[in-house]
Amino acid sequence: MRAGFGVEKRSTLSWLWQAATGVLLLPLLALHIIANHFVVTGGERNFAEVASYLGNPVIKVLEVLFLVVVTSHAMLGVRSILFDMGVPRRSRPAVSWAVTALGVVTVAYGIWLTITISR
Amino acid sequence: MAEEMASGRRRPTRWLDLRGRHEGAWAYALNRLTGIGLVAYLYVHLGVLSLLAHGPSTWNSFLATSKAPFFTALDALVLLGVLFHSLNGIRLGLTGVGAAVRWHQLLLRSLMALAVVLFLVAGLLWSIRG
Amino acid sequence: MTEEAASIDLEVLRYRPGEQARLENFSVVVAAGAKVLDALDTIWATQDHSLMFRRACHHSSCGACAMRINGRERLACITAMADAAQEHHPIRVEPLHNLPVVGDLVVDVAGFFARMTASDLVITRTAEPELPVSVDRLPPPLRLRQVVVAEDLGRFTRFESCIECGICVSVCPSMAADDGFLGPAALAGIHRTREATRDPMESAHLLALADGDGGVWRCHSSFECTASCPQAVDPAGRIMSLRGQIVSRRWGRLWRR
Repeated sequence: MRAGFGVEKRSTLSWLWQAATGVLLLPLLALHIIANHFVVTGGERNFAEVASYLGNPVIKVLEVLFLVVVTSHAMLGVRSILFDMGVPRRSRPAVSWAVTALGVVTVAYGIWLTITISR
Repeated sequence: MAEEMASGRRRPTRWLDLRGRHEGAWAYALNRLTGIGLVAYLYVHLGVLSLLAHGPSTWNSFLATSKAPFFTALDALVLLGVLFHSLNGIRLGLTGVGAAVRWHQLLLRSLMALAVVLFLVAGLLWSIRG
Repeated sequence: MTEEAASIDLEVLRYRPGEQARLENFSVVVAAGAKVLDALDTIWATQDHSLMFRRACHHSSCGACAMRINGRERLACITAMADAAQEHHPIRVEPLHNLPVVGDLVVDVAGFFARMTASDLVITRTAEPELPVSVDRLPPPLRLRQVVVAEDLGRFTRFESCIECGICVSVCPSMAADDGFLGPAALAGIHRTREATRDPMESAHLLALADGDGGVWRCHSSFECTASCPQAVDPAGRIMSLRGQIVSRRWGRLWRR
C-alpha cells in the first residue's frame, strides 16, 4: 500500500520559500507602507513626490525587490490554494507554470512602471 | 449530496465551515481569506498605479478622489488584513518548523492583540498626518 | 443529577447508497448518565433495526463509535446524553467527514487503514513485554523493530493512545480537500514509528514519505486534529516535529557540503 502515496516530489522547498518570502516581507512591507503613506503630509505622494521617491536608486532597488518578494509569496499562496481546491495531480505542473508566468508578468510590469515614472 | 457521501468525494470548501471548530481552524480560515483578499488588492493596487504612467495631472486628480471616506475605509480594511496575515504568518512560520507548537494558541492571541495595537497606532498616525 | 430517566430527542442521519440522505427523528428514554451510544443501542434494539452504526468496547479504547454529535466529532461512548442535549436539542448525530459513507453512521475505513499501514506503525504486539524491558532479552531477529521501553517510557506510551477512531481525519480541512494527503493519523503514526524503529532505512523511508507529495507540507496548521483527538495523541505537534526533522536534515546537508 506504500506505492499509493507519493514519495518522490519535494514540497518542502515550496513551503520554505513561502516562509522565507514571508519573513522578508516583514521589513520590506513595513518600509513600503511607511515610506509611501506615513512620511509625506497628506499620506499620499503626488506625482512629483512619487517621481522623486523613485528617482533614488536605492529606493528603486528596494521597491523592485519588494515587488519580487510579494509577488513570489502571492503566487506560491495562490498555487497552494489551487492545489487544495481540487486541481487534479496531473494538472499540477501546468498550474505551477501558469502561476509562475503570471508572477513574471507582474514583476515585469512593475519594473516597467518604475522606469517609466522615474524617467 | 448522496453520491458525494457514498464516494467520500472531497469538499475543498469545508475549511469555510467553522461550526464546532477551535481557534486554530479560525486562524487558518482567516489566513486564507486575507491571503486571497491581499492578492486581489495587489492587482487592484498595481492597476491603480498604472495611472502614474499617464502623467502628473491624471495621478494627482486620482489622488483627490482617493481622499473619500470609502477609500480610507478600504485602506483600513487592507491594513487589518495585512496585520492579521503577517502576524499570524509569523506564528505559522514558527510552528511550521516545529517551534513553539505547544504555545500556538497563546501566540495567536498575543499576535492578534499586537495587530489591534498596531492598527490603532496606524490610525492615530494617519489622523495626524493625513 | 437525579436518577430519573429522561426522554430525549435525537435526529440521526439516515442514508443508503443511491438514496437521498435525510435526518430521522427518534425519541429515547435513557437513564441519567447515559451516553449517546446507549441511545443508539436503544434505538436499534427497540425502534429501528435498520439503523447502521459501529460500536465495540463502549469505553473509548477501540475508536469504533466516532461520529459527529451536534456537529462536533466525538466518541459516542463517552459523550453524555445530558451534555449533548444541553448543547442542542434534538441531538444531531451524523457520520464522520472525509470518509465514504457506507450507510447511516458507518463510514468506509479502508482508506484510513491504508494510510495507517503506510506509516508502518506496529499496532499489535505479539506478546506483552515485562517492564522494564532490555533489548538484550529479545531474540536477535526481533531487536530491530521491537519497541524498547527500558527508559523514558513516557516518550513511547503517548502514541499508543491512538485508537484509530478517525476523528482527526474528519476534522482536517486538508483531508477534506486532498485525496492524496496522508492525514494526521498516518503522519502521527510515521512520527511514532520513527521514534521506535532501529532500522535506519525504514526511518529514512518514512521521513521521505512524510516529506513527499501527500505528506506534512499539505498540512496548513489548523491544529484541529490535536484539538479534537479524544486520546491526546497530538497529531499536529507530531506533524510539526516531522517538519522540523526534515528541515534540520536539509540544513545539515547544506552545511556539510
